[in-house]
Amino acid sequence: MKRPPSLVYAPEEVPPLHVTAFNAIQHVGLIAINLVYPLLVFRLVDAPLPLVSTLLAVGMIVLGAGTLLQVLRLGPVGSGFLCPATFSAAYLSPSLLAAKAGGLPLVFGMTLFAGLLEVALARALPRLRAVFPVELSGVVIFMIGVSGSAAGLRSLLSPDASPMSPAEWWVAAFTLAVMVGLNVWGKGLLRMLCALIGLAAGYAAAAFAGLLGAVQVGGVGDLPWVALPGLGHLSWSYEWVMVVPFAIACLAAAMKALGTITVCQRMVDADWVRPDMRSATRGVLADGLSTALSGLLNAVGTNTSTPSVGLASATGVASRRVGVAVGLLFLALGLLPKLTTLLALMPRSVMVAALLFSICFIIVNGLQVMTSRLLDSRRTLVIGLALVAGAAAEIFPVIAAHAGASWRPIVGSSLVFATLVGLVLNLLFRVGVKQTVTLGVEPGRVDARRIDDFLRTHGGKWGARPDVVGRAAFAANQLVEAVAENCWKGGPLTLQASFDEFNLDLRLSYRGEPLEFPERRPSEEEIRATDEGVRRLAGFMLRQNADRIRSEALEGTATVHFHFDH
Amino acid sequence: MEITEIRSGAVTAVALRGRVDSVTAGVLKDRLSQLIQSGLAQLVIDFRDVAYISSAGFRTLLIIAKQSEAADGGLALCGISSEVRRLFEIAAFTDLFLIVPSREEAIAALAR
Repeated sequence: MKRPPSLVYAPEEVPPLHVTAFNAIQHVGLIAINLVYPLLVFRLVDAPLPLVSTLLAVGMIVLGAGTLLQVLRLGPVGSGFLCPATFSAAYLSPSLLAAKAGGLPLVFGMTLFAGLLEVALARALPRLRAVFPVELSGVVIFMIGVSGSAAGLRSLLSPDASPMSPAEWWVAAFTLAVMVGLNVWGKGLLRMLCALIGLAAGYAAAAFAGLLGAVQVGGVGDLPWVALPGLGHLSWSYEWVMVVPFAIACLAAAMKALGTITVCQRMVDADWVRPDMRSATRGVLADGLSTALSGLLNAVGTNTSTPSVGLASATGVASRRVGVAVGLLFLALGLLPKLTTLLALMPRSVMVAALLFSICFIIVNGLQVMTSRLLDSRRTLVIGLALVAGAAAEIFPVIAAHAGASWRPIVGSSLVFATLVGLVLNLLFRVGVKQTVTLGVEPGRVDARRIDDFLRTHGGKWGARPDVVGRAAFAANQLVEAVAENCWKGGPLTLQASFDEFNLDLRLSYRGEPLEFPERRPSEEEIRATDEGVRRLAGFMLRQNADRIRSEALEGTATVHFHFDH
Repeated sequence: MEITEIRSGAVTAVALRGRVDSVTAGVLKDRLSQLIQSGLAQLVIDFRDVAYISSAGFRTLLIIAKQSEAADGGLALCGISSEVRRLFEIAAFTDLFLIVPSREEAIAALAR
């Protein structure tokens, strides 16, 4: 692990108190814009102001706890990176769907389900890469933006809602202009906190235009400064038809958490070559627990905050001490009823602007992820047809209206429909992707260069990453060497290499005894003094070198399988 | 595998070219043992042109490290590429050997 020159404070380092506090406030400011997602959900069901205020307070406490879970590394949970929790757009569209179908209890019950599902998926996630490749992640991120903005705007501006007055449109335009202006032309802190400043400016403009209820704002003054939010609101319910939309949102959130934590790994290690799945899995586990806690305490789904990781990258301050401060700050904010009530009063015009501003970045991020890979015809069709399916669901609501009750949540959500079409096509197009080559090695004619050339030449043709091919070449050479020295009983040794986009597998078969792959390295004295020590060292190195290793013996033939994630 | 020796004061730098595996490890061990027996126990092994080391190669390094230590000498390794360094890491040997970036630094470290 090599420290990058841009890194000022590594995760384990402790910055001075003022640096910690200043950075924590910036992170909270960045995350604040996403408060618009729970507000949209609560607004859809016309939840009363005191309840919205309480739910926002609980939401802040959940964000605090989620951030601490991510940063503290308690038991098997938490990546240990400065990767705070935020309310996620991934859950916006399914939550609005659930709110419409069964009110807030259904939103919270299904959020709890999604969180627990993410917890269950965390360990299997690295193996799901083939099912959920990068370009499909891009489609999902793009559709989170499209479906979230469409559903959010629909709930604010639908024919059922009272029409926006000219004053509201002006306040919305002004709020958006402040956010955009500071983001495009602002510098330093102004640019970093453009969304938060825009929200404050929007509130001021709305107050000036008489859009903030004077009675309600006046009521804020009567509230205590500090109070624990009550838990009398707790309620959950479940509907089978909501399982698919929330499972898709959970998968999207888990994949995004995986990606965000990978960015954190790269940020703190100049020698980074491939994702460390241990810390990534721990991070996804924390992310799932945060969403489960959200459902349990009655808030909406959370996810790792990408803009926060961007901030850590820009400042070079990646200390987990800052993450702890962010978590504590959110916990403290959840105890301030005046603040949460003021946020609950967010005028519709300000919410429209905040939604449009935050969604822009999600949509463009989705486009970038979609096109980050070389797009062959297979990938082009997966992306194209999935997007067409999503667009059809948005443009022709009549499809959902005519669908059966169990299909309505699937074809009625552009995010869910596009993701499912993409998933199915991706699995279908994987047929025939795997390529396999075989090399025979005769006893007494072991030629390391020939084995090396064989793997590197085919690896190059397949477009496999050189570092993964290098590991496979070492595995083949070390195994052949150890087998030739110790346990080869004649006959040819067969080396078979298989590759698809996500896996490089080696299979070596020979007549003879199986080699041992110990989990502990033999002692130095054992290696120096005995051939057994060298053989066990070879087995130990082979185990460490591969992502997975399996060995079997049948009728005098030993077979070793090496798997390398690609 | 090619073995080239360069004397620098009391330190002998041994530059390797090729692979350190079960075929070549014996030759390398014999040559390094000869140097130690002839009183040249301060050894630097330059891995700049080595792309592969197997378990047999590591055994040679362990034997030579012990022999040089017994002869009041020392062993330093240098010029290790990222791929070979990874092999030291998976074998859990990075803390066992003195590993420095360049030959000059290795010679200076042994001369201290």
